[in-house]
Formats: sequence, structure tokens, C-alpha cells
Amino acid sequence: MKVPSLGEFEELVLLMVAAQHDEAYGVSILESLEKQLNKKVNVSAIHVALKRMVEKGFVTSRFGGITADRGGRRKKFYVITAFGKQALDQQYSIRTDLYQQIPKISFN
Amino acid sequence: MKPSPPHRALKFLRWFCREDFLEEVEGDLVEVFEKQYKEAPRRAKRKLTWSVIRYFRPEFIKTFNGQNSTTMLQHNFKLAYRNFFKYKSQFFINLTGLSTGLACVLFIFLWVSDEQKMDKYHDHDQRLYKIMSNHTDASGVRTLQGVPGLLLEEIEAQVPEVDHAVAMTDTHEYTLSVADSYHKVDGKFASPGIFDVFTYPLIKGNKNTALRDKSNIVITEDLAIRLFKTTDVIGKDIKWHFWGREKIVTISGVMKSLPQNTSKPFDFILSWDYYHDDLISYKNWGNYYGRIMVVLNSSANEQMATDKIDAILKENQEDSRVDLFLAKYSDLYLYSNYENGRQAGGRIEYVNLFSIVALFILFIASINFINLSTAKASHRTKEIGVKKSLGASRKSLIIQYFTESILLSTIALIIAFCLVYLLLPQFNFLSQKELSLVLNQQLIGVAVGLIAIVGILAGSYPALFLSGFNPIDILKGKIVRKPGEIRGRNTLVISQFTLSIILIVAVVVVYQQMDFVKNKNLGFDKENLIYFEREGRLVNDSETLVNELKNTPGVSNVALSSFMVGGGNSTGGVSWEGKSPDDQMQFWEVRSGQGTVDIMGMGLIAGRDFSEEFGADSASVIFNEQAIKAMGLTDPIGKTIRHYTGEKQIIGVVKDFNLLSLHSKVEPMIMLYDPKKTHFIMVKIDPENVVASIGNIEVLYNKFNPGYVFKPQFIDQDYQALYTSEERVGVLSRYFSGLAILISCLGLFGLAAFTTERRMKEIGIRKVLGAGSFKIVYLLSNDFTKMVLISIIIALPISYFAVQNWLEGFAFRIDLQWWFFAGAGLLAMLIAWLTVSLHTIKAAAVNPVECLKDE
Repeated sequence: MKVPSLGEFEELVLLMVAAQHDEAYGVSILESLEKQLNKKVNVSAIHVALKRMVEKGFVTSRFGGITADRGGRRKKFYVITAFGKQALDQQYSIRTDLYQQIPKISFN
Repeated sequence: MKPSPPHRALKFLRWFCREDFLEEVEGDLVEVFEKQYKEAPRRAKRKLTWSVIRYFRPEFIKTFNGQNSTTMLQHNFKLAYRNFFKYKSQFFINLTGLSTGLACVLFIFLWVSDEQKMDKYHDHDQRLYKIMSNHTDASGVRTLQGVPGLLLEEIEAQVPEVDHAVAMTDTHEYTLSVADSYHKVDGKFASPGIFDVFTYPLIKGNKNTALRDKSNIVITEDLAIRLFKTTDVIGKDIKWHFWGREKIVTISGVMKSLPQNTSKPFDFILSWDYYHDDLISYKNWGNYYGRIMVVLNSSANEQMATDKIDAILKENQEDSRVDLFLAKYSDLYLYSNYENGRQAGGRIEYVNLFSIVALFILFIASINFINLSTAKASHRTKEIGVKKSLGASRKSLIIQYFTESILLSTIALIIAFCLVYLLLPQFNFLSQKELSLVLNQQLIGVAVGLIAIVGILAGSYPALFLSGFNPIDILKGKIVRKPGEIRGRNTLVISQFTLSIILIVAVVVVYQQMDFVKNKNLGFDKENLIYFEREGRLVNDSETLVNELKNTPGVSNVALSSFMVGGGNSTGGVSWEGKSPDDQMQFWEVRSGQGTVDIMGMGLIAGRDFSEEFGADSASVIFNEQAIKAMGLTDPIGKTIRHYTGEKQIIGVVKDFNLLSLHSKVEPMIMLYDPKKTHFIMVKIDPENVVASIGNIEVLYNKFNPGYVFKPQFIDQDYQALYTSEERVGVLSRYFSGLAILISCLGLFGLAAFTTERRMKEIGIRKVLGAGSFKIVYLLSNDFTKMVLISIIIALPISYFAVQNWLEGFAFRIDLQWWFFAGAGLLAMLIAWLTVSLHTIKAAAVNPVECLKDE
């Protein structure tokens, strides 16, 4: 089965979803990403990426319980699917593979 | 205090965002906002607004159009369909009532719009006027359609406001012959201007010259085909016959057959000049024999034109007591009656009457629909409760109920259209019209309007009222039914029955009056009396035929007479001793031969009939009682009066009889002895063998007058013809009222079903406790009885005034009997009981176990 393409930002979000297994939702992903990348990200970008990956089948989602936070609105948690994991693995192996092909270059 | 995110931004988000994303997106936005707010409140707000705008992209925008609302509509249709099936009887009652009601309304609409279209097809319709004349005398003002024919030339020469003008005669039946075949055809005389004034397109011939010559004739396509089997007939000759005159005329034009909406159709036109110069002896300014129609300039002032035309008459006839005025030509069909010089209705009254009946019926049918849906709506409060607690909005409920009622009214309307289509031939037969169901803009407008009115009226209660209930109350069964609802329903039933009772009374009275009119003793014996025109040889030599007829089996009496139902000629040219010079009393003039009084069975009060026993009667006249009274003569026999034909001696006085319709009183009449100028031969035949007797007469006639068409007419039929419009209206109103009553009963039937069903448990308990069947029936009928009683009380005075008003149009009328009203009330009551009893008796017979075993 052909694995759909995975964009750069999508890959980052997917990695974050995988890293925060079962606890990932919009704001948490946003905050970790901002911390990791050290730059401002708009929450809408995260949501767009998440929606696309839901369509591609890389993640699934579920609603959390109602809490007093967020004006009583539920969180939507995302979990990576096996298919998503496979895409990540594939991406990772291509990258490492390519990386290892780099000859030793000295930069003086 | 919690920081509040920018309200407007979130509102915008909620408006456009897909619902399945909204909660997450909004939650995350708010969470981020709350965090940032602690650091920089204003930036946090800006940030949130900006983020919201960033969401405004295809992935997040919900679908606004189409799909969702069609799904809802489908859902509503499905629900409506299921509801129809669930309450089948209600559905059918509604459908039957509504579709018959709508069919009636459509029929009436077709009829009314046809009446209104009459004579309106002429291009100049808006500026086309007929010149009318008001004649003032001691008794008031009489309005006639005639004017002196001489007026035409003067108008053309002197009145610049007039674009075109035409002088013509009324339509009359003449005999036309081609070779040896004779035909009776309606025709008229008209000046060449007829084709400019009216829109009668010529398919052959030139309209400017077609009637120039005295021997021209223009015929319709239909007549051309009837006479010659072709329309290629220019230059062919036709022989025209009337009362001993014959003229060979040459076809100079063929015009299109007249459209259906022509009030007095004719098939040929002869030259006005021939009529005016050669035919008549009374061509002067004191005689009102012509009909003149004018087309005014588009800029002309109607009043100025009237004044100028009137001035012409005054100029040519001094001391004239006649005023001319203009009446719109196409209005004369509906507004033909004038009383004392003022317009006083006419057929328009029937048009209005039927429009009112249509409204009544529509109202009655809608009431059924409303009552049954409100009644059943209470069954559906649970449905509403469940729906609302599942999240249905009030709006969607409103839409659902309206869909249901509009769907039902649409189905009813479609059925109504089918009914109209199927029954149109019968309706045309009854109304003597040729209506057709053509879907034009107007009709579609009416259809859409009807659906909207009925659908919205009937759907409004459940849609607007029930949808507002609190679901918790509904589901707990805590709904307090407002007493207003039942009262409202009762009011509607009462108004329904009120209308029905008014209609019943009206039908009874119209029927009684028409019966009275038909059977009233007119003062002479109109039965078995036939007459036919003297034509051809009979004009100069009728004696032989009269003598032969007297010996024909089946004939009991023969006489010459120009007696005409509806009057015929009238004259002011009678003077007597003691007549005041101002008196312009009009007398109906009947020229007669010997034995007219005898054959018509008129009663002689004094004197004798015209008879040869007394020698020459040429200077004798007979008056009716009314004339003697009006002239103020005592002991009239033997006195002399002056008629415009010479001195006459009164030889007899007959009892008053009705020459005119019973709308008018008996008017003065003079009978002249002038057998040569009597237009008809009148024959009294034996009642036993009418057909054979007429057959014998026809054989004799054909022997005398070969070729001519023998067309005998019955005097009593002529009398009936005076009342054709009343008769037709009577028949139509009978049907419509019957339907109105039927529809009301359907409604009552449905309502009774509903109430008995609701009270089933009560009935069960009452029966268990020992109530008898009769008691139960009484109990259940009680409410309905009360309602019908109230409607009777309301309806009777209204109907009394309505029919009284109608009867005033008759000089001879029935007295209103108490039993017309009592009968109508009783009938309504009986019908109501009968309808209700179908349910109550069933309910009374029920086994109490059946209705109590649940719960």
C-alpha cells in the first residue's frame, strides 16, 4: 500500500503526537513544538496538520472528558496509528540511510 | 475572574466552522488565550482573533448550502407521509374536503373570470363607449340603449373627440337563403365604421369598402362554411328575407368567427344605409332605433365628448326630455341595469354572489383542515417533546408542520385540478359556457395563492403554538390545554355551520321563487301555445293557412298576433281625453288579428275580443286594466282615443297579465287590430299529442312555404328564457351549497371521531357504572347540538336579510315563510346529528372492557 506523503511540519506534529502518546492535543503539541523549535507556531497550523493526517489515516482522535477548563469544552486527544508509525519509520529510515551516505567532509 | 476571549471572533468562528471541529478548535484557542492572557492581555486577544481568521479556510468551513436543508426537507416529507398514513381517516377527510372545496373555488374562478372577460377583446376596449339615452317622464327616468340613427353623421362631423363611430342595430334572427336552402341566422345592420370601432378581423375583403354598398353583406367564416362549404365566397349572392321583404346581397367580406367571449354573437352584417334609408319608416330625431358606439381619442375628455354629443341631440330636437350619456361598452355586459338613470348593477351581482360563495367554501374547507389538524395536534405533543429533547429547534418543528400542511394542500389542489378537468363538460353544460382549463399566469397565481393561504392557515396552529411548548412539561404530561383552543375550534365549527345554514336558506328561497315564477298565473294561458314567424308567402296570404290550420287535427285555435314575451314595441303615441301635456306614458303595443284575446285565454273584464262578427275592427283597440287605470278612464268601452295611426275606439278591457318578466310590474298595454302587420301566427295545440300536432302543422307549413325553415316556439319556453340567468344561478348555487354542506359535515365527522376517541375511557367508566347507550349518545351529541343551535341563531337573521334583499329585485315575489328558516335550521341539525351519530352510536355500543383494559 502506498504511503501518502508526509510534509515537514506534519512530520513534526506526528512525531509530537507519538512522543506524547495518548496525551497529545492541540495546545500540548503547540507548546512542545514551540519549545523544541524555539519559534512561534500558530495553533491553526497544528490543527490543519492534524486534520490532514486524520484523513491520511496516520492518527486517530478521541474526545476527552468535560472539565471546568477551556470553558467546559472537551479536549480532542490524538493517537498515532500503526500506519502513522510505519510512515514515521519509513521517513526515519530514509533519512538515516541518506545521512549515512554522506562522506566525511571536513569544513575548515 | 476568568479572562473572556473576544466575543465577536468566537461568534464568527462558530458561524463558519464545521461542527465536528468546532469544539476542539474553540477549546484549544481558549486554552492558548487563557495562558497568554496572563502575560499580555491585549496581545492575547489580538492573537486569538488572528488565529480565528487563519481558520477561515476550506477545511474548516462547513457546507452552508444544499445538502443539509434538502436532507431536512426529505426528512419532513417522510414524516408527513408517515403521519398521513398513521391517521388515514383524518387524511382522507382533509383531502376530500379540501379538494372538493378547492375544485369549487376553481370552477367559480373560471366562471367569474370568464364573465369578466366578456366583450373585452376589442383593441380599443379602454376607449370604446356606447351612447345611451335617459328618458325622463312623470314616472321617473328610463334608460335605453337606443339613440336616433341620424346622430352618427353629426357625431362624425362635429365631435373631434371621437376617433371612430358606428351605428348599428341589435342582433336579430333573419332568414338567409342560397339557392333553395333556407337558414335562420343571427345578424345585424351596421355602418362601415364597425371594423374600426370593433376588432372583427376580415380574412377576405377590404374593411373600408366591405359595407359601403347597400347590397353588401359580410359573413363569418362559420356561416360561409355552413352555406357554401368554403370560405372563398367573395362575390357570391345570398338572399336575405325578413317579413315579406327580400333582398339579394353580395358577399363583400368574410370575417373571423367571433370569439367565445362575445355577449351577443352574430353571423352576418348588412349595410346600415340599406336599413336606414330603405327599410325603416321612422327615421327621425324623435325615434331611438339606432345603437351607436364610439371610440374616443386617447386624450379625449369623456365628459366633454358626452356634452357635445348631447348638444347635437338637443339642437335637432327641441324640448327634448332625453339626455345622452356614454357607457363603457364592455361594462354593459356586467352592469346593464339602470334605475332612474343611475347604474344599478346587473350580472355583476351574480359574479359577486359567486365570488362570495367561493370564499365561503374555501373558508369552510380550510376550517375542516384547521380543526382536524389542531385536534390531532394534541396527539402529537409527545412527538414534539421527544424531538425537542433530542435537540430539534423550534424553527425546524415549525418548518416541519408547515411542510406537512402545505404538502397536503398541494395534493388537494392537484386532485382539485383533476376534478375540474374531469367535470368541466358538466359544468359547462350547467352554466351554458365553454370554459376550458388553461394554465395561464393568472390561474397559476391563484393556485399558488390557494396553497399558501390554506396551507399556512391550517398549519399555523401546530406550527406556531405547539412548537413553543416546554419539552419537560410535555413529557411529564403536564401540558395545560388552554380552554381557548377548544373554544377556538368550536367557534370555527359554528361559523362553518352558520355559512351552511345561510346557504340552505338561500337555496330554498331561490328555488321557491323560481318555482313561483314558473307557475305563476300570468293572467293568460301560456301552455301549449306556439307561434311562428310569417315569412314568404305567409306575409300577404296568411288567411288560407290560418283556415287550413283550424281544420288540422290537434289544433284547437289559431290567431294572428305580434305578441312577444318581454314586450316588443312600446309607444308614447297614445292620447286620450284629459291627458296632461306633460304625460309621456309608454304603452306596450301588441298588434293582433281576430281572436287573440280568446287564444291567449286572457280574461275580458268588459267589452269583447276582435271579431269579424262586428264588421271592420280596424279602428278598434283593447287595453289592459293597468292602462285604463293609468289613463284614469271610467267606463271605457266605446270611448275614443288617439293613437298615432288614427282615432280608435275602445272595444274591450282585459285583465292585467305579465308581458314582461316578473321582475317588473304590469305596465299599460294597448292591443291594435292590424292583422296585416302581425308578425306571427299563433296556434293553440291540444295538450295530448303535442309532437304529432306540431308535425301536422309543419307538413302544412312546408306545403305553403316551401324552402323556409319552420321554427315553432313555445310561449311558455320564452317565459322561462326570461329567467335563464336566475335559473342557472339557481342550479349552480344548489350544487355549490350542497358541497359546502357536505364539506362542513366531513369536518364535523372528523371532529366527532376525535372527541369520541378522546372520551373513550370516560365512556367505558360510565358504562361500567351503569350508563345506558342512550345516555352516552346524548352525552356525546350534546356539545355538537349546542354548536349547531348557536349557528342557527346567528345564521337566521343574516339569511333573512340576504334573501329579502334578493327578492326585492322581483316585482312579484313569494312571502318569506317561517318554515324556510325553521326547515333550514332543522335540516342542519339533523345532518349534524346524523354525522355525529355514526361515531356516538359506535362509541355507545362499545364493550367497556375494550377501552379500559389498557393501563
